[in-house]
Amino acid sequence: MKVDQFESIFRAAAKEPYQYQRVEFARVLVITDLEGESAQTFIGDAKSFLGLLGDTVNWSVLEDSDFSGVESLLDKVKEANPDLIVTYRNLRSDAWKWPYTLGEHLDVLTQIADAPVLVAPHPSAGRASGHSMQTTNLVMAVTDHLTGDHRLVNVAARLTSPDGSLLLAHIEDEQTFDRYIKTISKIGSIETESAKETIGRQLLKEPSDYIQSCGDVLKENALTITVQSHVGMGHHLAEYRRLMKEKQIDLLVMNTKDEDQLAMHGLAYPLAVGLREIPLLLL
Amino acid sequence: MFLTFASTSHTAPEVSSGTTLVFGAILVGLIVCLALEEKIHAKKSVIAGIFALISLILGAAFHLLPVGPVLVGGHEINLPVYIPAIDWNVIAIILGASLFVDVTSKSGLFTWIAIKLTKFSKGDPLVLMVLYGLMTVVFSAVLNNVTAMIIVGSLSAVSLSKLNRNHQLLSFLLVEGLLTNVGGLLTLISSVPNIIVGTAAGISFVKFFLVAAPFVVVATAITLVMGAWLFKIRKLGSEEERSEAALLVSAFDENDGIESKGFFWFSTFMLLAFIGVIATASILPWIKDLGMGYVALGFAGIMLIRFKAVADKFYQALDWDLLGFFAALFVVINVMEHALVLEGIGHGLAAIIGLGEVLGTGAILVSAAVASSVTDNIPLAAMLAKILQSLGTDPSSPLWWSVIFGANLGGNITPIGSASTLVAVTIMHKHKLPMSFGGFIVKAVPFAIIQIVIAVAYVLLFLR
Repeated sequence: MKVDQFESIFRAAAKEPYQYQRVEFARVLVITDLEGESAQTFIGDAKSFLGLLGDTVNWSVLEDSDFSGVESLLDKVKEANPDLIVTYRNLRSDAWKWPYTLGEHLDVLTQIADAPVLVAPHPSAGRASGHSMQTTNLVMAVTDHLTGDHRLVNVAARLTSPDGSLLLAHIEDEQTFDRYIKTISKIGSIETESAKETIGRQLLKEPSDYIQSCGDVLKENALTITVQSHVGMGHHLAEYRRLMKEKQIDLLVMNTKDEDQLAMHGLAYPLAVGLREIPLLLL
Repeated sequence: MFLTFASTSHTAPEVSSGTTLVFGAILVGLIVCLALEEKIHAKKSVIAGIFALISLILGAAFHLLPVGPVLVGGHEINLPVYIPAIDWNVIAIILGASLFVDVTSKSGLFTWIAIKLTKFSKGDPLVLMVLYGLMTVVFSAVLNNVTAMIIVGSLSAVSLSKLNRNHQLLSFLLVEGLLTNVGGLLTLISSVPNIIVGTAAGISFVKFFLVAAPFVVVATAITLVMGAWLFKIRKLGSEEERSEAALLVSAFDENDGIESKGFFWFSTFMLLAFIGVIATASILPWIKDLGMGYVALGFAGIMLIRFKAVADKFYQALDWDLLGFFAALFVVINVMEHALVLEGIGHGLAAIIGLGEVLGTGAILVSAAVASSVTDNIPLAAMLAKILQSLGTDPSSPLWWSVIFGANLGGNITPIGSASTLVAVTIMHKHKLPMSFGGFIVKAVPFAIIQIVIAVAYVLLFLR
């Protein structure tokens, strides 16, 4: 019976085209635990970095003295109702000295706030790369399931400089893939080499098609940014780190919320903790 | 045919009525087992193969079989008695056409057509049902009923799911299943009964098409109108619904299944050429001597050049069960011929025919339909064709058409009446849609009755 064979062909042909929607960031909230000149420097850097949002943005600031703890911070954020939050890793935490956490304030804030959180490198840590917080000429959006994630692409596209590039990256975890193929190799009724080739090809085809449609649709909507694609197999963290260094990425955009769990999205946390040199936008 | 000619050159032995009854019982046993194929969990080829073995050994025991050398093109050749019993032209057509369609489908041509039509419908359910219905008829005519049902049924499942209209899938599958048997009437090579009866009657491809096409057009239109009315398939009401549906189907990419543009266009050309050559096979020099089986095998061979390194994968994908079934069936029928079972049935048939030109022709069509609704229409067609041949029926007689229409349309009465309706039910069950044997009959019988009534009227009014 070839029913399944033809259903597969038609399912593969039923694609998920990208749907463009312009994202507006009318209200931006900057949160800092710094005071005085240091705070002003960070606020200035943030405004300069996000200059592409235009002059009509309503900027507000929460300084160290404006909140006392996590609960107080969340109340203030709720009150401000921002479209975008700008802060840095290990906000009000000494743990910036060790590269193992984002700090309790950010851990909670990223999961509770509806608005995306732009996390800059810690101002005192000295780990920021030279081009950090300068421009958004090259923005990279990553997720472990890029296909159909219109919001991620819309936000990333909005924060890419006009005439800049948006790199859409999708890495399939090679270790997991190899483990499944190893299991398949023990099943006599499935031809291992054929399964490896066809499953691998299909896994990478879907995000490639989606990225292609992102480029087409953005062009149709008169956006001048260039869409680049990186789809492949590998180790997530190592591969994204390699891309970040090789291509001098200015901003990394990724999802952090997971409906199935309270903690940050499975892939997002190790990336957010590990990639400390450039700003990250956590959705 | 050379082999048939040679095998009939033997003198027929005397056969007692008791012997004929024994073999008649074997034939009934075969028909019953084929009808209960699903219940006894046995493939057609195994069932027919076992009955062929029994028939042969008993035929040899009763000295019924024309053993000894056979004349092939004037040369005596020693062949086992069961080899000339098989109609190799039919086997060659089925083998070649299956292989050709299988390789052609790799070009993405059929899925391209299917998705183009889906997008053309803009997701409107009524337009979708009409287009899928027409596609079913055309695919059944050009390919075969089962492949047509698989392609259109699979697409229906995926596109209706995309349109969030899973509740209409059962209606679509049922109408498509019924239309496979209507479309299967369109050409000489659209279904196996057509090939068997058409070949026996000496009906050319073009003649077959010209006679069958008006009926197919009318029956398709009526089936679609009935389907839309009975299953309440309506056009989308609001502009919002239309835009949403259009957006959803626009996500289909018709080019996704096309791996090579060159092969796609080559396949399109070859498909058209295949239809053209098959249609004119009876008048083309040289080709007319080699027959349609040669054409089918030839086109399959040319297509396989593209996949020459992996041709064995296509051989593996062939429906060997169906081919084995045909071979065994021809052997059984051949033995039945020698045991005078077909002659006995022929007497019964002659009595029906004797009811008069109107009543007899109509009765043959209806009884062929009823018989093929509960058992495989292929042995029925093969048996009736053989009997009509032995009765010396004129090639222009409407009786041939009664058998053709009856054997095809009977498949619409029950889910086991034809392989394509069985595929439709299988797809329903795959998608957890409830459809019992009785449930299918209740839903399908109104359609089948109307189609059979139109067929009877058509044969009596236009083909006498």
